Amino acid sequence: MMKKKQSYSAEHARFLKKRRKNLVLVWSLRIGLLLLILGLWELSTQLGWVDSFLVSSPSRIGKTIASLYRDGTLFYHIGTTLWETLVGFVLAVVLGYAIALALWWSETLRKVLEPYIVVLNALPKIALGPLIIIWFGTGSKAILFMTLIVGLIVAIMHMLSAFIATDHNKILLLRSMGASKLQILTKLVVPSSVPSFISMLKINVGMAWIGSIMGEYIVSRAGLGYLIVYGGQVFKLDLVMTSTCILCILAAGMYFLVVLLEKLLVKNSES
Amino acid sequence: MKKEMLQFSDVSLIYHTKRGETKAAEHLTFTIAEGEFVAVIGPSGCGKTTLLSLAAGLLKPSEGTVERHGSCGYMLQKDELFPWRTIEKNIYLPLEIKRQKTAQNMERARALAEKYGLGDFLQSYPSQLSGGMRQRAALIRTLATDPDVLLLDEPFSALDYQTRLNVTEDVSEIIRSEGKTALLITHDISEAISLADRVLVLSKRPARVTFTHQLDFGDVVNPLKRREMSSFSGWFEILWKELNG
Repeated sequence: MMKKKQSYSAEHARFLKKRRKNLVLVWSLRIGLLLLILGLWELSTQLGWVDSFLVSSPSRIGKTIASLYRDGTLFYHIGTTLWETLVGFVLAVVLGYAIALALWWSETLRKVLEPYIVVLNALPKIALGPLIIIWFGTGSKAILFMTLIVGLIVAIMHMLSAFIATDHNKILLLRSMGASKLQILTKLVVPSSVPSFISMLKINVGMAWIGSIMGEYIVSRAGLGYLIVYGGQVFKLDLVMTSTCILCILAAGMYFLVVLLEKLLVKNSES
Repeated sequence: MKKEMLQFSDVSLIYHTKRGETKAAEHLTFTIAEGEFVAVIGPSGCGKTTLLSLAAGLLKPSEGTVERHGSCGYMLQKDELFPWRTIEKNIYLPLEIKRQKTAQNMERARALAEKYGLGDFLQSYPSQLSGGMRQRAALIRTLATDPDVLLLDEPFSALDYQTRLNVTEDVSEIIRSEGKTALLITHDISEAISLADRVLVLSKRPARVTFTHQLDFGDVVNPLKRREMSSFSGWFEILWKELNG
């Protein structure tokens, strides 16, 4: 029942100031830690404490990025992996959501398919590698499929359990108003599962990267996963480290996009 | 004779589960007339909620018939306001469900909310309101479609004592001044006495109507005033004995 724009007490001002100070401290420590790691890494290779051939170094990573850029292959590899990951992610999320809806709608269908989903969930998807190569060839299609199946089952199970967990009393309330099943779905089940949808997106960001990189390990002639495997095979650890670092940045970026979406979608809900 | 709004004739209900069947209600017979406020009390787990579900048409009786003359509005123990909707949008929910979201009906619902002190909170979210205000919003939501009969399933039991007395007062006043027929389910004897025109006592499972009392408070419908009257404790004693007898 609070109204905005009230004048705060001096104590509240101190409280806010303390919070701000704490935030500044946490962020400076975070950045400081990163700089410290990079600095120690660079220093230990410069001074010869560790072999930079084995562990690379920040400066060598910088040089590798520059040379990839000069070759014109940097954005080609990043683009390939990013495209595979994003398309696989979107496909897994959309299909998973749709299938979960269908399973929520029909209890019979849910009971019939339950053991299949459980088994598919437990199956390590990489075991399907050879089959995928034979079915889809060695191009992007195979990697997309790998990304899709890695995320799909997780998306289905996560959303289905959220749909089923819809408050029974709220369903009762809607039924007492004479709501149809479709109305219960659109007015209650879908909006009340938005927080679960967001957490599913967060999980699936990780799943999509696992899928695309795993896919590129098995097949492919391009992408960051390919660079990592290739770098490992020819002992160019600079290349491995560089690709890994770029992966870190991309995955973090994608995760933050989801967090941004979360802020847009659930700003008004009860937390 | 006033119009009968709700009529239970020899209603029995059996619940079926994997482990067997349970008789939840047996030979329930009673009627509720237009404008009447009827409270049903019974020992816990006697199937009070079952009775409301039957009245609302959410359950079909195994035997007997339930006749409804007019529309029902259901109010639950918790407010069940949707947290992602503002109070205003929550109040429009039944209009959306019944596809009656006309400008006129929305205006009616808004006017009700303003009349009963929710005007300043229409754009608030439920989490910003106190328990009592939320329950009041839930009542306005129930009234939005102008139902003929209100079915109240222990609507005060989730509130703390102080709030409960206030909300009981509010709800009673709103229901009486809107001239609604109401069926209240409760396990709280004094709540039943303070609100109702007539009290039905249910037995343990399977639920049967064991006693019916027409309360004699004359014109006094205010719950707090009733609690102060001398006949209040007399009724309490009678109903207490019947519940535990």
